[in-house]
Amino acid sequence: MLEIKNLHARIAEDGTEIIRGLNLTVKAGEVAAIMGPNGSGKSTLSYILSGREDYEVTEGDILYNGESILELDASERAAKGIFLAFQYPVEIPGVATMQFLKVAMNEQRKYRGEDELTTPEFMRRVKEAAAELKIAPEMLRRPLNVGFSGGEKKRAEILQMALLEPKLCVLDETDSGLDIDALKIVADGVNALRSPDRAVVVITHYQRLLNYIVPDTVHVLYKGQVIKSGDKTLAHELEANGYAEIIEAAA
Amino acid sequence: MPAVQETIDQVRQIDVDQYKYGFETTIEMDKAPKGLSEDIIRLISSKKNEPEWMLEWRLQAYSRWQTMEEPSWARVRYPKIDFNDLHYYAAPKSTSGPKSLDEVDPELLRVYEKLGIPLKEQEILAGVEKSRIAVDAVFDSVSVVTTFKEELKKAGVIFMSISEAMREHPDLVRKYLGTVVPQSDNFYATLNSAVFTDGSFVYVPKGVRCPMELSTYFRINEKNTGQFERTLIIADEGAYVSYLEGCTAPQRDENQLHAAVVELIALDDAEIKYSTVQNWYPGDKQGKGGIYNFVTKRGDCRGKNSKISWTQVETGSAITWKYPSCILRGDGSRGEFYSIAVSNGHQQIDSGTKMIHLGKNTSSRIISKGIAAGVSENTYRGQVSAHRKAENARNFTQCDSLLIGDRCGAHTVPYIEAKNSTAQFEHEATTSKISEDQLFYCLQRGIPEEAAIALIVNGFVKEVIQELPMEFAVEAQKLIGISLEGSVG
Amino acid sequence: MNMQQAIKMTAAETALVDAYTAQIGDLPGDGAVLSLRDTLVHELKTSGLPTRRVEAWHYTDLRTLLRAVPAADPTAFAERVDPLVPGSSVLSVRNGQADIKNVPEQLTVRSYTESLLDGSAAAGLSVLGADDAIGRINGGLVRGGLEIAVAAGVEIEAPVEIQVVQSHGQAHTRFPVSFGAGAKATVIERHLSTNAEQSFVSSVSDVTLAEGADVIWIILQQQGPADTHLGQIRFDLGKDAKLHLFVINAGGKLVRQELHGRATGEGADLTLRGINLLGGESHTDLTFTLSHDVPHTTSSEIIRNVVFDRAKGVFQGKILVAQDAQKTDAKMSCNTLLLSDDADFSAKPELEIFADDVQCGHGATVIDIDHTQLFYLLARGIPENKARAMLVNAFVAEIVEELEDDEDLVESLESVISAWLEKHA
Repeated sequence: MLEIKNLHARIAEDGTEIIRGLNLTVKAGEVAAIMGPNGSGKSTLSYILSGREDYEVTEGDILYNGESILELDASERAAKGIFLAFQYPVEIPGVATMQFLKVAMNEQRKYRGEDELTTPEFMRRVKEAAAELKIAPEMLRRPLNVGFSGGEKKRAEILQMALLEPKLCVLDETDSGLDIDALKIVADGVNALRSPDRAVVVITHYQRLLNYIVPDTVHVLYKGQVIKSGDKTLAHELEANGYAEIIEAAA
Repeated sequence: MPAVQETIDQVRQIDVDQYKYGFETTIEMDKAPKGLSEDIIRLISSKKNEPEWMLEWRLQAYSRWQTMEEPSWARVRYPKIDFNDLHYYAAPKSTSGPKSLDEVDPELLRVYEKLGIPLKEQEILAGVEKSRIAVDAVFDSVSVVTTFKEELKKAGVIFMSISEAMREHPDLVRKYLGTVVPQSDNFYATLNSAVFTDGSFVYVPKGVRCPMELSTYFRINEKNTGQFERTLIIADEGAYVSYLEGCTAPQRDENQLHAAVVELIALDDAEIKYSTVQNWYPGDKQGKGGIYNFVTKRGDCRGKNSKISWTQVETGSAITWKYPSCILRGDGSRGEFYSIAVSNGHQQIDSGTKMIHLGKNTSSRIISKGIAAGVSENTYRGQVSAHRKAENARNFTQCDSLLIGDRCGAHTVPYIEAKNSTAQFEHEATTSKISEDQLFYCLQRGIPEEAAIALIVNGFVKEVIQELPMEFAVEAQKLIGISLEGSVG
Repeated sequence: MNMQQAIKMTAAETALVDAYTAQIGDLPGDGAVLSLRDTLVHELKTSGLPTRRVEAWHYTDLRTLLRAVPAADPTAFAERVDPLVPGSSVLSVRNGQADIKNVPEQLTVRSYTESLLDGSAAAGLSVLGADDAIGRINGGLVRGGLEIAVAAGVEIEAPVEIQVVQSHGQAHTRFPVSFGAGAKATVIERHLSTNAEQSFVSSVSDVTLAEGADVIWIILQQQGPADTHLGQIRFDLGKDAKLHLFVINAGGKLVRQELHGRATGEGADLTLRGINLLGGESHTDLTFTLSHDVPHTTSSEIIRNVVFDRAKGVFQGKILVAQDAQKTDAKMSCNTLLLSDDADFSAKPELEIFADDVQCGHGATVIDIDHTQLFYLLARGIPENKARAMLVNAFVAEIVEELEDDEDLVESLESVISAWLEKHA
């Protein structure tokens, strides 16, 4: 489903190279965890996958279902099914969460040539998904992410993921700032979305989240490259021994 | 009343640079020759069968105007206007006082339909459970038709063109005309006093809550025609009225002048809500053409506990010079000003309000949202003053600007004047841009860039949109989106 | 329309032009300076003093407000007074004449009269624009002042007080002051009158801060109850320069203090704090403009006004952000406490913004004493007049306390404020 080949990318403004020859393959149905120390390029990778213009790809390619997505802008990639759950969801004052959801769902449907949802159908879907994630209807009436607690923001991200039904989900440090109860709710939400035709990329710093969202593969990112790949036991290894050993071995 | 969905969809399909109401209609016109003189004023007055006092009033204004100079303090630039190169009177030929819609030129009705104001429908729908709006349509200089007249009459509400009112209710007109915006108020208002051709007149009697929204649609169609309408609205003791105003003009290369005067009078415990969606032609991408919108709007809270509320959505015109104001004369009176001003391309807006606190315990609220894109200039200019006797005057002002792109300008010029120690004024202003993060977040959810900007901007202006009557709110949001098209990328 | 007609000169305009004519052979300056003076006075004569129709003078109609100008008196005599902060180095200018004795070692000081005579002052004499009435009057009539330089890297411990003392008549002074890269100093520009006789004073300071200079500049205006004070400071902030400008108006009958600055180097930062203590029948105008010319500059402005009696106050503040000046961060606020029904205050805080990636805002309030706070104090047994004085004092003292690094300075300013309040409240 996702194939990243010898990717090199830098910050557009100052030319700092962040991703330096990264290779990664994620199959449909797979949950891949990307781990790595601070500054290894994890969040950058999520932005590059989703098409943020602050970064430039200088070499290599990103194939999504066999096609390069480098020429697509962020909204086109989203409509094709790439979803990024933000580490820091953005507040947009004055825009009601409901309104935002409706616009996003319908714009994506329009892009794919599908009919727009009727209001009752839209409402039904939102209510169902919100109930699963224990999101109060009152929260959906508030402006998007404004005044939401850390946990509420993350749950709102997963709600959006559930409603937009993406094919490739990228979770950027979704566990940061969550207490254990919130973490479980979020993980349950993600697990509910696991399916044979959907891939999930979990970017995280800690093994903790991976106890709840159990990955099929684990990849260690360091200085913009994947320096080691393995199964879920690799995450436990990292938890126990830290990154130093692997980094040394790779050097 | 507001543009129907169809119109909006059609507009979305045409080129970004296209102005949605930029069609021209060929209707036979009765026009005065170009230029301004006492004779022209006499001609206008006689065309309208005005009483002698009205002609005198006009002539007095004209002689005053000749001694005045165009104001230069606003932050707008435009070549000198040749006031003798304009027609001061133009009327569709067949409209010498239609009694009902059936007498109106069908071509004219089609124009209004294109504008999304199906007058006929309005009347047909009269029996149906639905919010209803009485419309007075002004085409170039004259009012062509007013709907729902009969039904309003039952409630005792007078809603007709001001020329008609001058003949049918001369005492009311004479009593109130020019008492809020005096003849010599400013250059454009004085010009209007001399040459105004038509406009709407509303009188809501004591204790009456006007049973429906009243609305006027202004359209400039003729070339080189100045539109000088005059609106006078009086809410007698305890009365309430909500009034909506919409405006459009065809696309033309040359600039057209619009210099209206609106006077509102609220007596004891009365309330007037005045909403405007201004969508005159803004000129093309190069800044050619477009309307000069030089308007004087002022409300007088003459009675105790009266209230006047202005809401405006300004998206059109090449130049807007407009300060809908409130004189808070009655004790306990309240003034409100809610504004959205969107400028794109080469548009220039210098707009705001004045809240003049004269009475005791008066309060006012100003919420202004300016959005500048393209190479436009967007200025908020507002005055809040409390006079010596305005004990406990209160004002809250919030004035936010949003810049889209780095070639436009957003300016804030408030004048805050307190002469009473018990006055409490609060003013806040901010300037910011749409953050990259907000935009990317929307894109990542699959919302294309222009839709994302429209969404964020509509969030930014929400407080004001909420003040508009429902039908206008939907129209206004779409207009803002359309106005900002082509502002990025 | 009536622009073409010759305006009839007011008494004050006539007096100013006469003052120039009377001293014509006596005013210092080389050819260039003298011809500049001629031009400036000619402009004053033809366009007159500004009226409210000039936007920059909207609330201070100088033409109407300036009723009379006392004649210059070369024999006027004023004594120097103790410095505001004990231990300061004092450079005194009495009745317009600089005294350059006792100059501290770290400063290079020269009499401005010398600069006029050798013509090096000519460039600085130009006005800031057509509305610059203060620059025009001062440029036409200036006789003396001080030219001060603080060399690069020099840090001056004790405050430097520029003490401009006046008894009566006229005084027109200038103070070009430059701070070299990394220089650090506290300067107190203090204007005061030794008696109640009428004075007409104009003063222009022209301050430049080179890269990384860090300066606290205090303007303390304590003129007499009959005096007219027209002050102006121009400042230019270079790369990473930091200026903390603190203005206190606590005197005068007709006062306009202008502050005009530009942030011309990235990383430049201005902190402006202003206190207007207004009473009697005075009219006081504080007018400020700051142009953010380059990216990444910051400014913060807080003005606090307390207005008693029949006093009138004005604050005009304008922040300009040039098209290139992305990432500007500017916040301005103006808060007024009106304490008499005969007092009035007008504020015009403007933003003029041409760059989109900026954070700019302003706030303005006019308030009454907080009744719950007052009640709290009364309930604790504090008499009303005392309680009010405490609250008023707290309202302005708040921004003095920001200068906490220099305790002596804070204390001195606080005592100026409380002395003024005791006299007027």
